[in-house]
Amino acid sequence: MSENKILYNTGSLDELSEEIGKLTSNDESKLKLTPDNADSGLAKLVLTLVELIRKLVEKQAMRRVDGGLLTDEEIERLGETLMKLEMKMEELKEHFHLTDRDLNINLGPLGDLM
Amino acid sequence: MGIIIYCILLVKRDTEKLNSLLNDIKGISNTDLFAISSNEIAVVVSDIEKHGLTADRSNTLKYASVVEQIFQQFALLPMRFGSVIESREMVTKLLERNYIEILQNLYKVESKYEFGLKVFCDSGKLKEELIEKSSDNIQAPVKTVPEIKRSVFRDYVDKKLREHKLEELMLAYVDQVISKITTYLSMFNSVNKFRKMVTETTILDAIFLIDKDHKSAIIHAVDDLQGQYPTLNFILTGPWPPYNFVEITLK
Repeated sequence: MSENKILYNTGSLDELSEEIGKLTSNDESKLKLTPDNADSGLAKLVLTLVELIRKLVEKQAMRRVDGGLLTDEEIERLGETLMKLEMKMEELKEHFHLTDRDLNINLGPLGDLM
Repeated sequence: MGIIIYCILLVKRDTEKLNSLLNDIKGISNTDLFAISSNEIAVVVSDIEKHGLTADRSNTLKYASVVEQIFQQFALLPMRFGSVIESREMVTKLLERNYIEILQNLYKVESKYEFGLKVFCDSGKLKEELIEKSSDNIQAPVKTVPEIKRSVFRDYVDKKLREHKLEELMLAYVDQVISKITTYLSMFNSVNKFRKMVTETTILDAIFLIDKDHKSAIIHAVDDLQGQYPTLNFILTGPWPPYNFVEITLK
């Protein structure tokens, strides 16, 4: 971006460049499926979808906890389930050598999936 | 050999002005630019080796620079980088098939600029501030449970609930910023698009299409907003060709 396109900025150009870098460096978020990496590419896709569903379930669960709709026993069981799900997810990520940043898909103009 | 399309523009009766402008600009790989016209509209193209177009820095910058220079003088619809078509005849057919839709889109962006507004924050500081201001005690556990009954699972739920509440606070805050920005923009009769919480530090990425005459007014509006939110960093960029406001699917 040329400097004369910046009409208003109270921060430094270095900070701006760093932030823009974060917004545009989405190499990890692109799904690169080739004949050589079909296994890991597929694992990345499947785990991304599983992670999305896990986060949605967690969000919904927290809404219910926050709304006071659950008993002590239910909260206890929910905590155990969510914790085990998160641990299992960590195991799978490690197994397929994936990081949190990998578990996202860039949807082009729509932005990132998560 | 193929034809790369840079943009479609509203040339009206200014064909000479366009041709003279194109004489001074070179396209990707230093090729000559030329226009293919149909009534009021024209497409700016250049020849390109079909397999020679890579999406590298030099080519994309060249493409953007061509669009930018034409944008200084004409209302235009930028094409997506890499729009390559087989022949001039096919470009003419494309124009004829989509003439009405293209013309309508061009009139929509005529005399307008696209601006981008990004709002950055120090995420840690902002969260602390929001927690402090919140009437809800985010740090408190879900329910007061006797110490003997506390377990690792219950602590886990407490931690997740804190994160959830903080996220809700952040979203409510961003919505409040958007609402304030929208109030300002309503004065300019603009078309806006917002993306919230793009990254941990970019809480807002907005684009809007505004009448050319309002350029200095929008800078003042952003300055006003910055004054109201001193902990955030507002960055206004532009004017840009209407990259995000081309709403047309070419047939």
